[in-house]
Amino acid sequence: MRLEDELRELRARFDAALERAADPKHLDEVRVSFLGRSGEVTTVRRGIGKLPGDERPSAGKTINDVVASMEAALGEREGALQRARFETSLSESIDVTFPAPPSPLGSLHPIRIVTNDLCGYFERHGFAVVLGPEIEPDYYNFDALNIPADHPAREGFDSFYLTEHLLLRPHTSPMQIRTMEDYPPPVAVVVPGKCYRRDAVDARHSYMFHQIEGLLVAKDVHFGHLKGTLTGMCRKLFGPDQAVRFRPSYFPFTEPSAEVDTTCPRCRGAGGPCRMCSGSGWIELGGSGMVHPNVLQQMEYDPDIYSGWAFGFGIERLALVRYDIDDIRRLFENQPEFLAQFS
Amino acid sequence: MKVPIAWLREFLELSQDPNAIAERLASIGFPVAAIEKRPALSGVVVGKIVALEKHPNADRLQIGTVDVGGSTLSIATAATNVATGQIIPVATIGAQLTSVKIERRKMRGFESEGMMCSADELGLPTEWFEDGILQLDEGTPLGQDVVLLFGLSEDVLDVEVTSNRVDAMSILGLARELSAATGTQLSLPAELTAPQLRVSSPGVRADDDLEGVRVTIESPDCSRFVVQRFTGVRVRTAPMWMRVRLALAGQRPINNLVDISNYVMLEVGQPLHFYDLAKIAGRHLVARDARDGEELTTLDDAHFALTPQALVIADEERAQGLAGIKGGKFSEVTAQTREIALEAANFSGPRVRRTSASLGLRTEASTRHEKTLPAVFTDMGAARAAALLVAEGATAYAPRPFGHAVERPAAVDFPIRDVARLLGFTLTADEISKHLRALGFEVTAPSPERLTVTPPLWRPDVAIAADVVEEIARMAGYDNVPTELPPIAPHEIPSRAYHLERDIARTLAALGYAEIVSYSLNGGETFERLARAGLDPSAPPVEIRNPLSEDQRYLRHALGPRFLEYFARTDRPAKIFEIGHVFAKRDHIEETPMAGFAFAVETKSGPSWRDDAFLRIKGDAESVIHALTGRETEAVPDRRATLHPGKTAALLVDGKEVAFVGAIDPRLLHEFGVRLPVYVASMYLERIPEFRTPRFRVPSRFPSTDRDIAVIVSRDASAKAVQDVVARAAGDVCKEVRVFDEYRGPQVGEGRKSLTLHLALQMDDRTITDADADAVVDRVLAALESDLGATLRS
Repeated sequence: MRLEDELRELRARFDAALERAADPKHLDEVRVSFLGRSGEVTTVRRGIGKLPGDERPSAGKTINDVVASMEAALGEREGALQRARFETSLSESIDVTFPAPPSPLGSLHPIRIVTNDLCGYFERHGFAVVLGPEIEPDYYNFDALNIPADHPAREGFDSFYLTEHLLLRPHTSPMQIRTMEDYPPPVAVVVPGKCYRRDAVDARHSYMFHQIEGLLVAKDVHFGHLKGTLTGMCRKLFGPDQAVRFRPSYFPFTEPSAEVDTTCPRCRGAGGPCRMCSGSGWIELGGSGMVHPNVLQQMEYDPDIYSGWAFGFGIERLALVRYDIDDIRRLFENQPEFLAQFS
Repeated sequence: MKVPIAWLREFLELSQDPNAIAERLASIGFPVAAIEKRPALSGVVVGKIVALEKHPNADRLQIGTVDVGGSTLSIATAATNVATGQIIPVATIGAQLTSVKIERRKMRGFESEGMMCSADELGLPTEWFEDGILQLDEGTPLGQDVVLLFGLSEDVLDVEVTSNRVDAMSILGLARELSAATGTQLSLPAELTAPQLRVSSPGVRADDDLEGVRVTIESPDCSRFVVQRFTGVRVRTAPMWMRVRLALAGQRPINNLVDISNYVMLEVGQPLHFYDLAKIAGRHLVARDARDGEELTTLDDAHFALTPQALVIADEERAQGLAGIKGGKFSEVTAQTREIALEAANFSGPRVRRTSASLGLRTEASTRHEKTLPAVFTDMGAARAAALLVAEGATAYAPRPFGHAVERPAAVDFPIRDVARLLGFTLTADEISKHLRALGFEVTAPSPERLTVTPPLWRPDVAIAADVVEEIARMAGYDNVPTELPPIAPHEIPSRAYHLERDIARTLAALGYAEIVSYSLNGGETFERLARAGLDPSAPPVEIRNPLSEDQRYLRHALGPRFLEYFARTDRPAKIFEIGHVFAKRDHIEETPMAGFAFAVETKSGPSWRDDAFLRIKGDAESVIHALTGRETEAVPDRRATLHPGKTAALLVDGKEVAFVGAIDPRLLHEFGVRLPVYVASMYLERIPEFRTPRFRVPSRFPSTDRDIAVIVSRDASAKAVQDVVARAAGDVCKEVRVFDEYRGPQVGEGRKSLTLHLALQMDDRTITDADADAVVDRVLAALESDLGATLRS
């Protein structure tokens, strides 16, 4: 058979095989059996040796031309099959509204979330976060805070006692004393933690609650720095338009002292009935003030050189306001339907 | 404290808007908790009954002719306490009363031209006033507007006064503050214009003719005792204006003497006591400690057996009252009383507080005395009471003070720069002086940098520069405080404990646990349940001495009980965690910060020697600890009172226990009513070591090969023991060894079990060959055989 006929016949079989190959694996088989090292083209190519010497170059060229065209056909077929596969894949369509399986994530308690947000804010401003015991001697709860025995202000701290001098802390302020005992000035700390007072439980009161205490003592610290710090804190918690106001008050361990309010984030002082602020437009955060010189002196901080401020706020109130929760008891009832809303 | 605005208005001009007054008070430190709205009344005038006759058509009605100043009205009434000559409040046609508007109407054919008013119609508590028509005082000008005369439509403020400002726990005290804040002049009754003792108050005789009345102060806890003698006393109903004011302030009117003492206490702030001198043995009053067992019956008929802790006012025979708390029954003023001694005394606050607390007796007087009143109030109280008693027809003799003289509080040396240093805004010396003088302080300027500030007699609470700063801030306005961020100097205070809690919480939430926060106090039921389950808590619970209720008597000893309550309540598989302190009473009270997490699962199936749920809780605990510490944990079998004895492990890090995990004892599940099996992990936060920063090791570039082998060992051999032997025998070439399957059954024999191990083998310098791997396996099998008696499972 002449070389050309041989190649034509081979090419016809190749085209047929190509036609039958419907996936990459079969295409590869076709490539190996025709164009592979020991494929049919190689067999034909070996026949060149038997040809007269002057025919060999043109025969070689003929074979190379055929191989090139076969490879092109193979490539084309490969591309066509690839496109077909993409089309098949792209023609798939699902109901994207079909519910996903339940989230494997758990959740943080709203008190934790608010605490973390507060502590995060204060850490960015250079405060350390310290924790303390819930059982404290009266010294740390009262005496060291300028509230000696029989001081009328002790009445405000109706506390649970374990022994004559040991009680569940009614505020986080004992950590002011422990911090100043342990470190020389300057100090900048916040203290989140549980506190206890003998309050009957209702929608707004709980005998167990969480406070965050702040204490900054350094040179040249004034009341305005407290207002600025707390304004930033409220904005972080409730949004950029929060304002903070001070009202004069009395705490034995601060002088001057102030109650701190922030704009009610729910009604923004629009007036009318508001569940959160009773229409006043302000939410009470808690007490604050400049650390009393007696407290500084007792900690061997010179009150003529160092000044500072402290505050103590209830975290529950912040959580109730932030999440629009109607009743403080929900925070401690641990209903799954409640907890799941904070995941 | 209830403050009728009408009473305040006695002392200074005020806004007509109660909200404005409330805001002003709040701005200077006296927040108003509530504004008690008074009914809007009108059209009520003073009238005098000039004639009274029976209604022609009704037996129970009378028709009065009432002079209302220039005209007379014919008014029908059903009241039975009316009589000719009485001065009464008359609602004229068109008048607005609490619940009705007076209109012309016929009563049984008679057209009444108004209505005679009782307490109810004027919004006064009926049980505190006479039944029927209110009786006004003789001499009240006819035709006057009753609503304006008595301030019946002026609201009442509920003012909060902080415990350092007992000087302001009075109408006068708040009026002083408002006067300073608004710059409005105070207008005081003559006897109060000079707060020092006034010998010649209007109507008071100049001589202090005590007729033998003496005071002896035996206790240092009575610093001053002003006594004043009155004769010609007549006990009767107090004038209407006084009764109305007391009622609006929440104080029940009794008779003129009791009312005067209450009135002066509310107005001036000084509690008073009147003794019937006829009943004071030796006419001698003694402030002394009570004798042990001394008996006293107080005005309210309560009986006390006293101890020397109580301070009493006694005569020469018996205790006649509890100093600063309550008077005694024996010398109570009665209708027969003609001669009285007034006591206006100053006592030690702590002493009064202790006595009051130990007797469980708190009164309006004691709540003031226990904050230690300014001594000058004794003189002011006596002076005001004398004026009121004289108006009631008594003869007053000059007061006589015993004990310490009233002293001006010490001057405070005030550095002007403290205003800027502590408040963040500046004021001139003149501005500072102006603010302080408005509050009654005396101010001099010894140098441009300093002021000498002397507080008024009633402000002994102002003792140091910081106190002065607060006064200045109150007057200048807290709104002047700027909003700035502080410069924070670097410090070395660590936040580790907080970061640990925060990171554990986040890790557990990522592992699917929902955080709960539960009450730390519980009743005895937790311990009863443990006992019923036959389990003992590891230590006695910590008990509250003064619990609010039985179900809040104990501090929690573990986090687990609340987990079980949660699972009993929800009764479905769930994963929860809590971070909090637990408490135990050992040598001393121990408080331990813990993190606990737990899940309930559907009832387990499978062989008794396998529990996948246990492995899951252990795996979660290991993951958490690794995330926190960068360290590996080792689980060792353990026992805990509340956990299943065969499914409990302690988790060690570097040989020290940091946590324990296990299945809850089924008996305890039963006691808590939990249907599903529960698995729990508890971590001791204070034992968790610091995070160890990992050191990078270059991974081998050569491929690894895996080998799985199954060996039969004694059931006593733990997976850990097997892994340890394998790791040691295989050496460095073994990158990982892990037991991943266990089987027990007839094929492996009695007392034996089959463990399947996975080994990952890899060399650092070349590709591992099959021959290399086979050699490792041979070494491993030989070691397992010699160390643990293991055989290869074919």
